[in-house]
Amino acid sequence: MDRLSRISAEQRADLVAYLDGELPEDRTHEIETVLASSPVAQKDVELLSRTYDLLDELPRPKAPDEFSEKTLATARLEAMRPDVMQSPAVRKARKGAVLAGWTLGLVLLAVISYLTANRWIPRESDLLLEDLPVIERLDEYSEIDNFTFLDRLSRKPQLLRDMRTGGRREAQ
Amino acid sequence: MLRVREGDDEAFAKLVRNYQDRLVSIFANMLGERDQAEDLAQEVFLRIYRARHGYEPNARFSTWVFRIAHNLASNSRRSKGRRKEVAFPGSNSDSQASRPAEQQVPEKSALMPARQLDRNELQERVREAILTLNERQRMAILLHKFEEMSYADIGEALDMTPQAVKSLLSRARENLRTALESYVK
Repeated sequence: MDRLSRISAEQRADLVAYLDGELPEDRTHEIETVLASSPVAQKDVELLSRTYDLLDELPRPKAPDEFSEKTLATARLEAMRPDVMQSPAVRKARKGAVLAGWTLGLVLLAVISYLTANRWIPRESDLLLEDLPVIERLDEYSEIDNFTFLDRLSRKPQLLRDMRTGGRREAQ
Repeated sequence: MLRVREGDDEAFAKLVRNYQDRLVSIFANMLGERDQAEDLAQEVFLRIYRARHGYEPNARFSTWVFRIAHNLASNSRRSKGRRKEVAFPGSNSDSQASRPAEQQVPEKSALMPARQLDRNELQERVREAILTLNERQRMAILLHKFEEMSYADIGEALDMTPQAVKSLLSRARENLRTALESYVK
């Protein structure tokens, strides 16, 4: 290894694990080989190690003397206090609320289903209503021979008027 | 903890005494506030007490304790929102931070010997450096340094793989080295 080249990112990541004794044997051997030949790596390891030693300067405050007594008393008090959420009334109310929720959900589902069906699926009576104008004049339509005659009639209004007057005279 | 599960309060008291200083130290350095550190340490014990009947010795007890501590510290920081961090009571970091260094030195020199001044300054810089790390990095570093926990145990406490802990600690140590560069040369 070039004595002045910097070590790779992977090797750098391994340096900390090497210092902590957390590298497997093969990687440890590899790092030791790198360290033996690279002053840069040696310097890196030394700086990392000295930085870690500086953490000894961090404060390590202790808990106050009465801490354990207070904690124990609080824990006992909490254990003695009845849990409101577990009382029969609250449990019954929670069960009721769940049941009411399900009922409401089912009712809503039924209403939505009804409205959807009503809007999108036509009933028999709807079809009859739609055809009502035709049904009402079915007798008149049955007197018409065919579509060719009907077509001629629509193009000649005079013929239609003649037929109407002729019909009236016959009636008189 | 098995005795605590069976309702032995004396065992619980022993457990509290065994972990109280360790937890207060971790929280104090995680949050930078001593009072809150004590409150959170107490909350850890209360959670353990509440969960005692359902306790199953699946993992090491200490990793369980520090997992609870990590969750509490995370929640605490989230709920704190944008509130600025406050230094330990008695610390003079606030006044120092708001004034230029040249104004601080004469006053401090008048109060203490130069060597003590250097030490205090170093402690302050180290504390500042640790607070620059993100939450997971900080917790991992503190568990490793204070509790001498292995990567596997830290992973258990922080819900990470040992490989992820290795990367996390590597980045954390690099960040610290950068932050404290002038003090290690």
